[in-house]
Amino acid sequence: MSGHDHLPIFGTWRNAYWFAIAAFALEVALLYAFTLRFS
Amino acid sequence: MNRTDYFVLFATILAIPLYGLWRTYGHPNLRQYLKGDHSIRWGTIGLSVLATQAGPITFLSMPGQAYESGIGFIQNYFGQPFALIVVCAIFVPIFQRMKVFTAYEYLGQRFDTKTRLLGSFLFLVQRGIAAGITIYAPAIILSALLGWDLNLTIWLAGGFVIAYTVSGGTKIVSITQRYQIMVILVGMAIAFGIAVHRLPADLSFGNALEIAGKMGKLHAVDFSIDPSRRYTIWSGILGGFFLSLSYFGADQSQVQRYLAGGSLRASRIGLLFNAIVKVPMQFLILLLGAMVFLFYQFEKPPMFFNQPTYQRAIERGYGPQLTALQSEFDDVFIRKRNSIQAMPKASAAESQALTAQVQELDAKARTIRDNTRKVLEQSGANPKSKDSDYVFITFVLNHLPHGIIGLLVAVIFCATMSATSAVLNALGSTTAIDIYRPLVRPKASDHHYVVATRWLTAAWGLVAIAVASFASLVENLIEAGNILGSVFYGSVLGLFLVAFFLPAVRGSAVFFAGVIAQTLVLLLFFTSNIGYLWYNVIGCGSVVIVAWIFQRTLFRNDRLLAPQT
Repeated sequence: MSGHDHLPIFGTWRNAYWFAIAAFALEVALLYAFTLRFS
Repeated sequence: MNRTDYFVLFATILAIPLYGLWRTYGHPNLRQYLKGDHSIRWGTIGLSVLATQAGPITFLSMPGQAYESGIGFIQNYFGQPFALIVVCAIFVPIFQRMKVFTAYEYLGQRFDTKTRLLGSFLFLVQRGIAAGITIYAPAIILSALLGWDLNLTIWLAGGFVIAYTVSGGTKIVSITQRYQIMVILVGMAIAFGIAVHRLPADLSFGNALEIAGKMGKLHAVDFSIDPSRRYTIWSGILGGFFLSLSYFGADQSQVQRYLAGGSLRASRIGLLFNAIVKVPMQFLILLLGAMVFLFYQFEKPPMFFNQPTYQRAIERGYGPQLTALQSEFDDVFIRKRNSIQAMPKASAAESQALTAQVQELDAKARTIRDNTRKVLEQSGANPKSKDSDYVFITFVLNHLPHGIIGLLVAVIFCATMSATSAVLNALGSTTAIDIYRPLVRPKASDHHYVVATRWLTAAWGLVAIAVASFASLVENLIEAGNILGSVFYGSVLGLFLVAFFLPAVRGSAVFFAGVIAQTLVLLLFFTSNIGYLWYNVIGCGSVVIVAWIFQRTLFRNDRLLAPQT
């Protein structure tokens, strides 16, 4: 049996992954705002 | 450190493992010993993954890094959320479905025994040495500053970890890491609060940030495409992604953390928790370093933080040179402090002139420190790590109240113990499952393998302590740890990427591609001076390309063979 035979797709977790990416984008945006404010 | 500090230190570092021993008391079967049980939920997995990555170097070096170069280092973590999503989507479900104990066991099922052995061998070599450095790096700094015996410090950190990791296996590692990381986060938060509180009373937090920003310490995000810039958002996302994918996907010390408990959902939520909290956590640790920097603009810092090395140079007759540098440094400090104190009340035009003056004086102070280092090197006093590694612990020992000092030293020990226990657990498991079971005793009982894993975990602990005892031979320890990981990670990640994405490639092609790629990386390491982060890319890319070519040429007849299970 090879794991590749059943290579998973993003499936029902798609929203969770988008949430993590959105949270990361927000973090970077806040860090950039912080940089602009204090540099 | 006084009695209160020692009480807090020992109470903290002993209570957590003792609680873990109480929670894991019993006779686990092999699955329980290597994967824990269903009581391990996503919160424990998430904190355990966080604790495994955040070793003692994180808490000793990161604030010092911000002190020296600002908080731009945060961008190195920008690739991690993407890597964790890939691990969640592809690696975790495959590992969980195949019910493997180790990542390399999967390579055996997908390819063959020799590829499994290659993956596990590369992991064991790299991590066995890295575990020694994880113990040694904080031990050398703490023993130097506190006057403790180095070997005793190594055994204090290492010996206790061996005992509880051997006893409780994966479950005790997960439980203790949960509380150790809580102690670490609380300790760092208290240090942050005190650093801000110890700033001059007439300086608001906002003003403090303004000054730190004007001194170039708060440049968190840099969109520059100039390749000479050390930290940019692009290098962070690309380089960080690659490094994180290798670390979370192919390093058993992390794989074992998120496979604990055996629930796909818990593993995924635990990893996504890390994708979200890692950047804010590192930001606060770096910001703490910026606050310590600001604190030392009002309180005179030592010219060289590694005081034992400085004293050795004086004893060797370099006192006059160092005294001259010290008086120059003191003069620069006073002028800089006066300018900084004038900044909050200055008009816009005055503020601009003061900022330029402060930046110039700061550059001067940096030059004096560089010259000091050169004198120390001439004297043969031989500092073993960067002076910035001593910044935060010097601040803790000299400026925090008693009790809190004990807590912060416990933070360093907790970080050492949590990172080391995860690595020893993974080294013991990999040796037992990927080498001992298939090659030495293929058909023994569950109980036999539990006992074997315990002995092998203990043996790896002794190897780590032996490496720590000889680590003084390495010039720059922390750099050595990073280089070591980069030299081996790329090839191992390549094996997994071929397994997932090149279904036509079989065992022999990928095995020989792995050997060639690792040899190539080692050759480059010894003969060239390219940046070590590139080894990851070269190792991984070589495995993928060479395996594909081999499968289509030398091993094309291997295609029809069924993979071994």
